[in-house]
Amino acid sequence: MMRTIEILLVIMIITGAFTIAAFFAVLPSPRQVSPLNLRRLALTTLQTLDGDYSMSTTVFKPIGDSSWASLQIALSASLPPNIVYNFSVYEVQSNGKLFNPIKSMSNARDLGVGSDSASYLTASSNVSFSSTPQKIGESGGGSTLYILNCSDANGWWITGYTAQKLAGDLRMLLSPYFQATIMVQNTTQLGLLLNGTKITSSPYEKVASAVLINTFGETVPIPSGYYLTQGAQDSYAKYCYLLGQRVRQYNWTWASIVGWPLYYVSNTVALSGSQNGWGIYGMVMVGSPGLQSFLRGLDNQAYAYGNSQTGSPGVVYLSSVAKYYSDYYGIFPSTYSTATRALSTSILGTYHLSVSTYIFDQTGNWIAGAVYRHAGTGAFLSLGLARTPDVRLTAVGLLSDYKPRLYRSEYTAAGTSRLVVLQLGQVGGA
Amino acid sequence: MTGATIDHLVSVTVFLAAIVLFIGLFNQTVQTAIIYQQHRYLASRCSDILDTILLSPGYPINWGKTDTYPTSFGLQDPEFTQYRISPYSLMRLQSVTGTPITYPKTGLTYSNITMGFGNFLLVPYTKAINYSAATKLLGVNNTLGFQLTVTPIITVTITETHASNPLTASVKVYGLGFPLSNATISYCFLKVKASQGNTPLYSSAFGTIFADDEGEATVSFQNVASDESYVLIAYAHLQGLVGIGYHERVTSTKRYVLPLIDSFAQRRVILAHSYDVHYGGPPESAVFFNATFVLLTEDFTLREMPMENSTGKIGKVNYGNGQPYANLTIPTYNPGILIVTYKSNNEDGIVLMPWGMSTMAFPVTFGDRLTDKEWIVTSIRQILVNGIAYQAKLALWSFKGYSVVG
Repeated sequence: MMRTIEILLVIMIITGAFTIAAFFAVLPSPRQVSPLNLRRLALTTLQTLDGDYSMSTTVFKPIGDSSWASLQIALSASLPPNIVYNFSVYEVQSNGKLFNPIKSMSNARDLGVGSDSASYLTASSNVSFSSTPQKIGESGGGSTLYILNCSDANGWWITGYTAQKLAGDLRMLLSPYFQATIMVQNTTQLGLLLNGTKITSSPYEKVASAVLINTFGETVPIPSGYYLTQGAQDSYAKYCYLLGQRVRQYNWTWASIVGWPLYYVSNTVALSGSQNGWGIYGMVMVGSPGLQSFLRGLDNQAYAYGNSQTGSPGVVYLSSVAKYYSDYYGIFPSTYSTATRALSTSILGTYHLSVSTYIFDQTGNWIAGAVYRHAGTGAFLSLGLARTPDVRLTAVGLLSDYKPRLYRSEYTAAGTSRLVVLQLGQVGGA
Repeated sequence: MTGATIDHLVSVTVFLAAIVLFIGLFNQTVQTAIIYQQHRYLASRCSDILDTILLSPGYPINWGKTDTYPTSFGLQDPEFTQYRISPYSLMRLQSVTGTPITYPKTGLTYSNITMGFGNFLLVPYTKAINYSAATKLLGVNNTLGFQLTVTPIITVTITETHASNPLTASVKVYGLGFPLSNATISYCFLKVKASQGNTPLYSSAFGTIFADDEGEATVSFQNVASDESYVLIAYAHLQGLVGIGYHERVTSTKRYVLPLIDSFAQRRVILAHSYDVHYGGPPESAVFFNATFVLLTEDFTLREMPMENSTGKIGKVNYGNGQPYANLTIPTYNPGILIVTYKSNNEDGIVLMPWGMSTMAFPVTFGDRLTDKEWIVTSIRQILVNGIAYQAKLALWSFKGYSVVG
């Protein structure tokens, strides 16, 4: 009997042990077993919202600015309905209290049964700027850079790109060096410009002594009206002549980024029924007389119809000047390229031009890339390379010619960093 | 003596029975703990594998733009860091959802992502990465199974509200849980013009409108008859979130042009007569086409990129033996939308194909099917595919099988 009692006691002890073990060894809910990684979701949400630096811009705006509301809308739209959030922005301080709360927004009273957060440090747009470029033409009030971005024209010999894409890249590369950078959005604005009229209300815009970059490759946009009618002679070679005259008149620097300059004209509305012979509508082939006419206009010679000439010297190499300024400005195109539309040295004497900057070394009687200055006024940059264009060469060419200085500096202003914390919680479910 | 023996027998029997019972009970508790640990491990692996896929471009790093198989699997855009995904690598994933199609003239089967009539992405199996290859490259074959789903965060829905003169369309922009109020919407409207010749002609218009507080906007176009074909493509953006939607109206869905990817490296697309693929019945007419390409610029506006004749943008396709398909070369590696207008027997229409998965906000489902899986864990990331906001979700399971004993 005693043994049975002992066994019962043992069973009671084991039962007690099992009960205690079972009490602690409870299978968690599915959410706890395989939780959603809210920390990663929060981080990637912040990265998505800052994909085009919109969030970094917004968090430095005044508290009442409407972009905060837009940010909250975007945040709410980007998260699944069962996710609640608390979005907080803190100013990072260098002394005393490290994080000073700026703004907080949330879409729920609490963050549910579990939450996690991620932080993201943003910097204001002027925090990492370490050099101040001198503005081209600073002593005379600063030059204006016009980039042809006409929506009503098509490009040629810019295969793989659109003129608008190239225009955007050029703006990023060159705008720090000019007092004003203005995108010429359509041929109407180009027409105004050719008539010497400003196209923005910016006090910094100056038509005279400006730099104009034609991003349309071998094509040049043509405005309707006067230039289309007066320039129509000889398959629009006369328009190229008028362009040359304007370059001389306003002391412009005209930049052609690739190929045979002024070989086609384009206006997708006015010339919609014409094609360039290769299936691109809104474009007319001027042919080789375009360049010849332009140079005659630049040299103030009388208009005459005749051919121009280009050559194919093959592989050409960056000049020592271009290499030096490539390092100086931190723009690094390939040191060699293939030229199939190099200009002849004969144009120097014929049109009273001098090479102010060689972008590529001269090969025989051919100049693959250079900035030509007229003895009077006006200048012309030409890169007679095979397609596709590299706009970095245009940037290096212009900067090598104007040589704006870079003033190195260290920016240590306070209040230039803000910490964004996104805390996410899950609602509903087990 | 007898009583002691009985006591002994009873106590031993009870003891043994109790031990067997408790072994079973403890075993169940231990099993529970093991399963808990295994599920935790699986959740951790899910997050890690998703990061492996999204934070590595694979090798070669630009495999999405080639026709070769990668030797390492990853979807990150090699030109960026963090969670930015290559729109071309996504194109090369073999879809698990669409019904594959076979094109007899190439003898190939094509992975099919079709988002309603006229919106096609057809990639040959010989160029698409299949699930089996991906599991081997990730080192999880025979141990773990997965399904990767990449879906756009922003939904742009376009509905025609008035058929003609003016043609009016309602554009609604929604996120996952909220309308995208006050979003900026840039659009491209392309209409097939009436013409006497065989080749379809088109006109295009571009513009920008703004959504209201409900995320809705209306756009209208003059001089559009009710029997004219058109496509309206709309990009909506707000604070870094970008989404896209499209709507087509065609006068003929009987005969049309079907774009099939031929080569990623050469940017070449086959244009096939639909009857060669869908076997539509009695003999039908040839289809004439005229193609163009539209891309989204950095300022969120749509631009048409003209195509040269040498790209094969204009031509004719017919079906049956002795009728070759047409080849078309996309002029750029910039992501955009190939728009092919077609005309046959005075009926016309438009088909679209994304060049770069994100340009038409196509979703991708890659991997195994989710049915009959015992325990599936998921992990989510927000990603950008060429600037378009997407959500990547990985569902993962183990082939070991977990069953509770007892």
